[in-house]
This record gives sequence, C-alpha cells and structure tokens, in this order.
Amino acid sequence: MNWLTQKLRSTTSQIIAALFGALICTVVLTIAITLIWPFGDTVEQIFAGGTFFFVFWAALFYWAMLAPRGTRAWLRMLSILIPAMALDAMMLIGPLT
Amino acid sequence: MQQTTHKTLYNTHGWIGIISGILLFIVTFSGIPALFEEELAHWQSPNNPVLNVQYQDLDKALLTAQAQGFNHTTFFIQPASEINGNIYFAHYPEDETPAHIVKINPNDGQVIPEANSDLAELLAHLHTDLHLPHPLGRYLVGFAGMAMLLAIIAGIFIHLKWRKEFVMLRPKRSWRLLLTDQHKLLGLWSLPFTLILAFSGTILGLLGLISPILAVAAFNGDVPKATEAVLGPVATITQEYAPSQSINNFVLKQRHDMPNVEMDFIFIDGLDDKGGLIKFSGNHDTKLSSLETVTYQLADGEQIHKGSFVEKGPFQRIFAAVTPLHYVLYGNGWLKVLYALSALAACGLIVSGNMLWLERRHGGKRNADHTKVAKNHWLGQLTLGTCGGLVVATSAVIAASQVLRMFNLGHQQIQWEQALFWGTWLGLLIVPFLYHNSFKLSHFMMRASGLLLLVTLLADGFINGRWLWHSQGWVFNMQGGFLVSALLCFYFDFKIPQVREEKANKSTTKKLLPTEEQYNRDLDSVA
Repeated sequence: MNWLTQKLRSTTSQIIAALFGALICTVVLTIAITLIWPFGDTVEQIFAGGTFFFVFWAALFYWAMLAPRGTRAWLRMLSILIPAMALDAMMLIGPLT
Repeated sequence: MQQTTHKTLYNTHGWIGIISGILLFIVTFSGIPALFEEELAHWQSPNNPVLNVQYQDLDKALLTAQAQGFNHTTFFIQPASEINGNIYFAHYPEDETPAHIVKINPNDGQVIPEANSDLAELLAHLHTDLHLPHPLGRYLVGFAGMAMLLAIIAGIFIHLKWRKEFVMLRPKRSWRLLLTDQHKLLGLWSLPFTLILAFSGTILGLLGLISPILAVAAFNGDVPKATEAVLGPVATITQEYAPSQSINNFVLKQRHDMPNVEMDFIFIDGLDDKGGLIKFSGNHDTKLSSLETVTYQLADGEQIHKGSFVEKGPFQRIFAAVTPLHYVLYGNGWLKVLYALSALAACGLIVSGNMLWLERRHGGKRNADHTKVAKNHWLGQLTLGTCGGLVVATSAVIAASQVLRMFNLGHQQIQWEQALFWGTWLGLLIVPFLYHNSFKLSHFMMRASGLLLLVTLLADGFINGRWLWHSQGWVFNMQGGFLVSALLCFYFDFKIPQVREEKANKSTTKKLLPTEEQYNRDLDSVA
C-alpha cells in the first residue's frame, strides 16, 4: 500500500495525470458538453464540444501540473472525470429531452 | 504569482519545448512553404499561363480533358485563379494510387504540359501529414500544435517583466544571455501569430480525432447521418444514365444563389448518372469562412443543399474560420509574408529554447580554459542536424526543381526531387554526430542554404529565361522571396558567433548576477 501511495505521489504520476488523465477527462467532459449544449442544432453541439476540447485539455493539464503532488493531481482529474462520466451515462441512457 | 507555481510553469515550459521542439520545428518551418503552396505550384511550372480572360468555359475544358483520357465520373475541378492560372481537373482513386491530373489553359482551352515537379506538394505534405500514413501524420502534427499551445500558455505566465523584455537584447554579453534575450524577444513579438497558428493548427490536426466521438454521441452512433449533417449530402449512384447539365450553367446558378462566396472547388460525383451531384465550395468574400457550400443535382439542376457556416452558431463560425486563419485565406499577400516571418520567428524560438535548455544544464561542464572542446550533447546535435538539415534540404529541393529540368527527366523528376530532399536531410542529420564543431556546421548550413537559393534564381534565369528583372506577377514575387530568404541566410551566417562566447568580462557578469542569471541559476538548482 505504501509502495502504491509513493508511486501515486511521485512526479512521474503527476505528469501522467497531466498528460493522459487530463486527456481522458477532456474527452469525457467534451462528450458531456456536446450532449447538454442547449444552443443551436446538433452540428453546433458537436463543434461546441470540439472547440472546447483544446481549452479544457490545456486547462486540466496545468491544473494537474500545478498540484502539490501526484495524488492531488489525480484527485483533481477524478473530481472532473466522475461527474462528467455520470452526466454522459445519464444523457446517453436516458436523455433529458 | 507564488514562486512554486512560477517554477512549475517554468520547468513545464522547458520540458514541453525539449520533448516536442524538434517535431515542432519541422511542422513550423514546413508551414512557410505550405503557406505559399499555390504560389510555389505556379512558380514551379514555367508553362503556367497568366489568367487574362473573364469567362472560363468549364464545359469546353472538360471536353478537352476527356479527349486526353480523363474519363472519370467522380472528380474535382479547380477553376483558374489570379495565382494558379489553369483549370485543374483531378481524380483521386480510392486506393490512394497517384491522382490523374489534367490542366487546361483557360485563355486558349489547350492542355498545359505537365510541370514534372512536385515541389509544392512535397513541402506542403510535410507540414500537414509529415509524409506519414493518414491519419497518423495529421494527428502527430495536431499533438505538436497542442504542445506549442501549452508551451505558449506557460510562456505567457512566466514572463512577468514582459514590457522590459519586449526591447531587451544584450548581444555583447554571454552566449547564454544572448540566447535568453533572443528567445524572449522572438516569443513576445510573434505571440499573436504563434497563438493563432498553434490554436488553429491544433484544431485542424486533432479535430479528426475527437469529432467522430462527438458525432457518434450526438447522432446516436449514426455516422453517415453525422457526416451528412456536417459536410452535406453525398451522391447515390444509380448506374442509370441521365445526361448532366452544363457546368457553366451551374456556375452561373451558384453565383446567383451565393453571391458573396468565391468558389474554389467544384466536386462532381456521378457525372451523367441520375443520382449524380455537383458541389461548389469556397470562401466567403467578407467573413472568415472557408466552408461555404452549395450542392445541385447534376441531372435536373435542382439545389438540394446550401451550407453556410457564417449564418450558424458561434462554434460553427469558429470552426469555419480555422482554415482561413491558419492559411491566411483573408487579407493580402503582405499578411502572408507577416505570417511567414512569424513562423520563422517561431522556428528561432524553438531552436533558441533547445539551446538555452542545453546551456543551462550542460553549459557549465565545458572546460574553462577553452583548450579542449567538450563533446556536444546529443540533443544539440539532433537539433542542429534536424533543423539545419531541413533548411538546407528545402533550399536544395527548390533549386533542384529548376536545375533538374535541364536533364529532361519527365515524370522521374518527381522521384529525383524526393530523393534529393530526403537524402540531403538525412545526410545532414548524421553530420553533427560525426563533426562536433556545431558553430562551424551552423555557418556551413546557412551559407549552403543561401547559395542554393541563389542557384535557384540563376537556374530559373538560364533554363526558363525567367530572370528576376524581367519577371512579373507571382513569379516575380516568388523570386523576390527566394532572394530575400537567401540574404536572410547570409545575414544569419554573419551574425552567428564563430565560437561559443563565455562571459564578456567579470564586472559585467557581477552586475548581472543578482538579476537575470541569478534567477536562472535559482531555477536550475530547483530543477
């Protein structure tokens, strides 16, 4: 357990969180934006998600990088990932409209 | 800003540059010829006419092309423009074999002999796909753009004294300070353009990766429906003969239906088929959009789709503006020149960033008495070989596109150009690992590039009779561009030091210690 905690706290873990954690988080968040975007037609929804994608990725990347340690970086990513995944699942299984 | 935040951003900026710098240089430098792809294509073909007719007879041109064996039912037509003075017919086979291309002179309706040079395509494809299989290369370019975007964001936050750095250059101090000042100066002055290029380049490169996921999510997995919603309808080939209407009439109809749009491409899918379509696409005259389309049925002329992104929501408008912003499809030629200079500044930024990183970590390991030259770092050698090699290889292939015409190689000239380009680049990539004096090698590369560009002008004069002082229009502009580039290479050759200069003197160094250098050393010690 100690070994795992140490690995998660490390700088390598933080970089992985910033690169891949942020990427996964961004994909899930972008899908959520596409599904709930209230303005315009379906194509507008796709481009809203697509345009936000890079902004989210950059923001989440630096949010993870600026965390004091690896575990905090992963926690930050999970704090976005879990609600966004829940929203995706909710919208894909039973859309609001 | 807290010091720890500043240090994290500083280190992240450095590491992003080190990891992606060389790839970024390739993408950015090749972006300069890609920006002038149409102009280069015009210059590389001395047979290209200058458009001097108001009306282009596309029906007659198609008949001429068909008489040359262009018997395809699915093909593109690019009408002649001010730059590209020929009517261009192209059929791209689905199996990705070479395209069948026929060019027609719009002034007399005759077929234009092939140029046998693929220079513009060779350099532009390096920028868009790195000559890697599609879509791998495109995604890699997109990731490079993302890395550039991340480095720019961190760069903005770490440069707190930007007002001072806007005008600070200390050429007579140490080599390291010179690099630092150059890096900051180039970064600050080119910031608006590099930010636009990075953002639009990332979207162009990576949207193909993310948009299918989003389209599937938005259209419940119905990919054809998603494609049709974004790109418009596709033809349903029935194999039932129905003569297509006149293309010239369709052009008139398009001008009536979308008067503010300048059509660049005409896509015909299913010529003389009952389900065949003709689709016009081009740029809006006054708004930033390159995705204006109108589609008609070929058999009865009925308009079945009109796609105008300028009338849509803000995100569709942003997407439609990406290509014009990236390839300067707005403004005039001078704006393109400004973009090209910014891209050149970004190249300088990448190289100086890599050198600065090496200086800060390995600069001190050199002998203080200068009696022995320390062995170069592999990253420095790789940077010099790849970046300098690309500059020389590009100049070499530009010169070769004209010099090789002397040997009447026909279609083989394209293979020779490619072999020369890759051979020169690969050769120069290896040289820094064998010859360790990087400064001498940098001078050699700058001189070689400048000389090759001058050879281009001489070859163009001797072989094609297109001497700079007799040229006009876009040929003159391109030749002028080569001359300025050659002079720029000689200028860099003159300005790059002959040897690595250590600190100017002890007194000046002492004065610097509490400020810039001390700060850099603090950051290094943390790293």
